[in-house]
Formats: sequence, C-alpha cells, structure tokens
Amino acid sequence: MKADNTLMLAVKAFPLRRTLNEWLTIDAAVLIYMAKAIIAALLALWISMKLNLPDPRTAIFTVFIVMQPQSGLVFSKSYYRVLGTIAGVGMSLIIMGMFAQDPIWFIALFALWIGLTTAAGFKYRNFQFYGFVLAGYTLCIVALPVIETPLEVFDIAVSRFSEVVVGIMSATIISDVIFPRRLLDSLITSERERFHNVLSTLRDPQSVFAVFDENNPAVSRFSSGVVGLDAVRINSNFESGSDRRERQHYAHLNHEYMNLSTTFHSLKSIVASIKEGQKMELLRALESLYQPIVSALRTPPEGVLNPEDLNELVSELLEAKKEVQERYERERIVFEGEDEFTSAAYLIIRLLHELHIHCATYLSLLKLRLSGTSSREFSRVVRFSTHTDNVLVALAALRGSGVLLLSMMFWIWTAWPYATLTITMAVVIGLLLGTLPSPIDGVKDFFKGSIFALMFAAIYDFYIIPAYTSDLLTLGLLLAPILGFVGWMTTRPKLPIFSFGFVFMFMSQCALDPFYKIEPTKFLESSLAALIGVIFGGVAYLLVNFWSCSLTQQRVAKILRRQIVGACEGVLNTERSALESTGRDLVQQFSTQGRLNMRSSRLVFEWLLATLEIGRSILAIRRSAQRYSDLHITRSLESIKRYFETPSESTQTVLLVSLKETISSLRGGDKPSEKIPLKHFETLITEFSLIRTILLNSTTFPLSKEDSCR
Amino acid sequence: MPLDITLFGVQMPTLLPIFVIATVVQILLDRIMSDGGLYNHVWHPGLFRTAVFVCLFTTPCLLIYR
Repeated sequence: MKADNTLMLAVKAFPLRRTLNEWLTIDAAVLIYMAKAIIAALLALWISMKLNLPDPRTAIFTVFIVMQPQSGLVFSKSYYRVLGTIAGVGMSLIIMGMFAQDPIWFIALFALWIGLTTAAGFKYRNFQFYGFVLAGYTLCIVALPVIETPLEVFDIAVSRFSEVVVGIMSATIISDVIFPRRLLDSLITSERERFHNVLSTLRDPQSVFAVFDENNPAVSRFSSGVVGLDAVRINSNFESGSDRRERQHYAHLNHEYMNLSTTFHSLKSIVASIKEGQKMELLRALESLYQPIVSALRTPPEGVLNPEDLNELVSELLEAKKEVQERYERERIVFEGEDEFTSAAYLIIRLLHELHIHCATYLSLLKLRLSGTSSREFSRVVRFSTHTDNVLVALAALRGSGVLLLSMMFWIWTAWPYATLTITMAVVIGLLLGTLPSPIDGVKDFFKGSIFALMFAAIYDFYIIPAYTSDLLTLGLLLAPILGFVGWMTTRPKLPIFSFGFVFMFMSQCALDPFYKIEPTKFLESSLAALIGVIFGGVAYLLVNFWSCSLTQQRVAKILRRQIVGACEGVLNTERSALESTGRDLVQQFSTQGRLNMRSSRLVFEWLLATLEIGRSILAIRRSAQRYSDLHITRSLESIKRYFETPSESTQTVLLVSLKETISSLRGGDKPSEKIPLKHFETLITEFSLIRTILLNSTTFPLSKEDSCR
Repeated sequence: MPLDITLFGVQMPTLLPIFVIATVVQILLDRIMSDGGLYNHVWHPGLFRTAVFVCLFTTPCLLIYR
C-alpha cells in the first residue's frame, strides 16, 4: 500500500504527468497490440512448424486476419472464420470429388457457389458477412492448387483447415490472456458519451426550438451510431465475463435511444414548420410545455455520473411528466382542433416518457456494473432487425460469379499454371471489398500494399532468410520486426486496406515453408499472377457498379414506401423496434453503398424519419381501431395505403381530404365515457393529426420534386 | 483408448474429436459461469478461461497417452 502511495506521488509530481498519461492511453496500447500480434504470429509459426504442417504461412496469415485490439472482435471473427472454412473445405471436397474431370460442371458449380456465398454474406452484417465470403474463397484456396492432381485434395483440405485452426487458437489465446482489452469496456464508454450527449441536447430548449443548424454537432449527432453500437454489442458476446443481463441492457439502451432520436427529430421538424407558419402563440405554448423537461435536466450531464445523482434525475423526470401533463390539459382548451398543437404536444410528452425510460435503463446498467443487481428486469427481448435490398444482393452475387468466370477464362486461354493464383486473388478482392464505401479506392490501396509487400518479401526470401536463419529461433527473431510493423499498420485508421494487401501478399510470397524452397522465377511469376488478380477484382467493381445517386434515392424511397404499405396491411404485432432498426439499417447500408452526397443523405434521413413516424402511427391506429371502429378510419387507412402504393398529386389530395374528414368527424363525434375506450379514442385523434401534419410538412416524400443529386 | 479412431471411414487422431467435444463443453461452461457472475470474482477472466479449457482438453489426452 505504501509503495503504491509513493508511486502515485511520484507520478503526480512528475512534471509531464499528462504526457505520460496520454502516452499510456494512446501509444502504449499500440505497442502492446504490436507485441501481442508478434507473439501470436510466432506462436502460430512455431506450432505449425512443430506439427509439420505444409504451409505455416496460412497460420500466420490467419493470425493477422483475426487479430484486433479488442478481444471480443477477435473471438467473433475467429468463430465465423472457422465456420466459413469448414463450409468452404466441405464444398471443395464435394466439387473436387464429383467434377474434377469435367471443366464445364466444375466451373459452373464453382461460380454458383461463389455467387451463393456472396449473396448470403450480403444478407448478413459484420463478421457473419466475412464467414460467408470465406466459405466462398476457401474453395479457391483448396481446390485450385490441386486441380491437376485431384487425389491430393483431401490432404490439402485437412492441412489448410489445421493451419487455420492453429492460427485462430494462437490469436484468441494471446489476445485474451495478455493485456486483454474488453469490448464491453469500450461499449460502456461510448454508451456514456451518448447518454451525456442526449442529456446535453435535450436540456437546451434551443436545440428543439431553434432553426435547424447543421453546424450544431449535438443535434446532428443525435441519431448516429445506432447500427455501429449494435454491432459492437453483438461482437462482445464471445468475451470472457460478458454478462447476459448486461448485454440485454445494452440492447434496450440502443433501442430506446433509437426511439428517442426519432421522436426528437420528428418534433424538431414539426416545430420548424410551425415556425415557418409564424404561429408565435402556438410556439410559446409548446415552449412552456417543454419547460419542465429543461428544469428536470438542469444539472449538467457531467454531474450525473453515479447512481445516486441518476436516481434523483429519474424521479425529477417523473415529476416533470406530471407537470407536462397538467400544462397540456390547460393548453389543450386554447388550441382545441389544431392538428399541429396536438401532434407537437404528443411528441413532447412521448419524448419525456422515452427519456424517463432511457434514464431508468441507464441507471439500472450502472447499478448492475457496480453492485451486480439491476433495478430493471426486461421481460421481452428486443431484436435488431436488418433489411437488405435484394437488388444490392443480386448485384454482389453477379459481381462475385462474374469475376470468377472472367479469371477462369484468363486461366483457360493463357493455360498459365500460375493463373490459379490470379483466380484466387480476383475472387478475394471481388468478394471481400464489396461492403466498403468505395471499393475502387479499396482496390487501389490493396494494390499499393501488395507492391510494397513484394519488396519486403523479396528481401526476406532472397537475402535475410537464406543468409541468416539457421533454425526456428532465428527465423522468429528475424520475422519479428516485420510482424510488428504489420501490427502497427493495422492499428492505423487510414491504412486498413493497405495493410490487408500488405499482409496478404507478404504472407503468400514469404518463404516460410518447413524447408526453404524458393526460386526467383516462381516468386516473380506468382507475384505477377496475384497482381493481375487484383486488377481483375478492380475491373469487376468498375463494371458491375451502376449505382447512381438518383437510382439509390429511388430504391430507398420505394422500400420505405413499401414499409408503410406493409404497416397498413401486415400483421399487427410488428414491433416499433423492428420498424426502426430495419429502417436505420437500410439507410445506413444505402449510404455506404449507394454514393449519396451530403444533401441527399439529409433528404433520405428525413424520409426515414417520416416513414418511421407514419408507420408507427398506422400500427397504433390499427390497434386502437380494433376497439373503436369507424367507417372514416378504415377509409383513411385505405387512402394512406393507396397514396404510398402509387404516389401522385391526386392520391395525395384524396388522402389529405380523407384525413381531415376523419379527424373532424372524430373530434365532432361523442366521446366514449369509459376510461379505456376514451384512451383509444384520443390516441386515434393524435395519431391521425400526426400523420396529417407530417404529410403536410414533408414536401419531398414520397413525391420527390427536388433533385438533390446535382 | 486407441490413438487413432475411424469416423465415417476417415481415420483421424483421437485428439481431434476430443478437441471438438472439449470446445463444446467449454462454451457451455463459459455461458454458465458468465451468467452466474463467476468472472466478477476472478482476477484474470481470460487466463482463467484458457486454463479451464486446457484442463478440459488435456485430462482425456493424458488418459490416452498414459
């Protein structure tokens, strides 16, 4: 204890304490990661040499592929890598066993398999995608080298699989045992940041009532990270000591945050339209309705760190809820019949309600982490649903099979023995870089990395390894610097594809066989073949990539419209979380795949919000209409459906008229006297007003008049 | 126990099925231990987990190679 204190004092007295601290958090982490990568790679090399596996390069390559700073990512990537390798090895045994003598069937099934794995991969997210892609290109790695001697396929399949397993075991054990960095810890950090961001945005009434300001970071940030944080949560599943209850909390927090952000943005857009209409009185009433939220959040978010403060905040929010309800009852009489007031007030109440729940969940998470007992128990599981556009999937499959057929043709025409490497490389590029925002730039980076790696590989192959290595120990010592260098490159955020290309080429060309056997001609020919493969992959992205901005917009609009139509006629128990996560995932995917510029991204985000809000309203209306049915309601729902199926000026007019009629007939009709039907009745009025307000305000969706793609 | 066994007509070292079984058992044990909160009381969860796996895998191996 005493030694600790003196150490602490010494650290405090150190004049460059901050510098030291910074070094510890940023640079030391990179150094540790480099050390971990070197140790894991050398361990894999040592084990595969000891077990006499024919190709230890695959093991080291696997280490670098799955190695990540956080151990959760390593586990999850390894898991899918093993699954993908099993599928790919199995398929190569089948194809080689049945069609090795028959080129047409062989190539056809090969292309089918590549297309299938690409399509399946595109349907999934994160490392699941990687698993499928791996199942595709493992076929190239296993089947093509033995195409002349098909009887050896079993041996090569077994040894490739063993090497992959050795690499994975080394990487996972090293990253979990030596200075593990848990993904869950980074998850709580980002969750805290996000929570503070929510509080600081909402405590400032200006962020709701001021004009939209693109430079206000808090407002524009209030929607980001939903898809990304969910991926982090999924990947932390495999970590040691990841608690099921904790993960459940994260899932709920993410889902609640999604709801909060939708409500916030909808409220903001309605307020903006009220402002445009110069209805100052209405605006003042809404501001006074919002006032209790501001006063409940008066402590700055930096002061809300421990459970006690948060507990206080939650009870204050509960008070604010009552206060807002009272103010609403008072104001309602003044603004009787105003749709904008009804919908904006409803959104404020909903915002407060959701904020309250969000805070309670966050409090429960803090308690769980501190004492192991949570204050909230979740009865239902929220799922993060995803949606992938089938056109995107079909394009990716076409590209995968196409690049395979192209490189196969190259192989057949040239009859070059090394062209199998071209095929492998082209398939790897054509599959793996498909989810990048701009695959062509990725291919360029990969190419540069490969060239760079070839220089290093040549030095190692023809100078360092023959001149200085005599046994495994010296080989390991000589390899350590370059392995560390690769580890350093993978931590650079700007070089992911470059370093991937470097690893890929270096590992396929470095002379790491159990017995030294490298010839200059073989080295040159295989490098040339691989580089041609990279170019083929790039060509595939150039050819099969006819996404344009306006086409993307059209697709998104169509899919979003279909979601609303689905909400009108589909099953009633669709959950709001499913609607929200699907929409967000979809838009995220399109904005990375479909070349949207800043303006059209904003536009698409607005469409998304409108869809989410309208879809949710429709579901609520349909639920309430089961208790309180009315001819007008069915007719309105019908016209909403028709409008979103075939959007045109005329259907829009019909829709707006029918909505207006419904609302006025509901308002004019007699209210039910019992409590439950009254509640449904009021829900109906609010939701219809909300839909009408949104439709009146959003001039762009689904009838897009503005061309934002220029 | 024999050093090699034959599964579906493929001869393989007995270590391989043992490895697979040990992995499955390990995953189940890990789920139970993490949900039961055992890892909160362990100094180094990763090391502990690895050690458990080593025990699970090597005990049957010792039986074979004795």
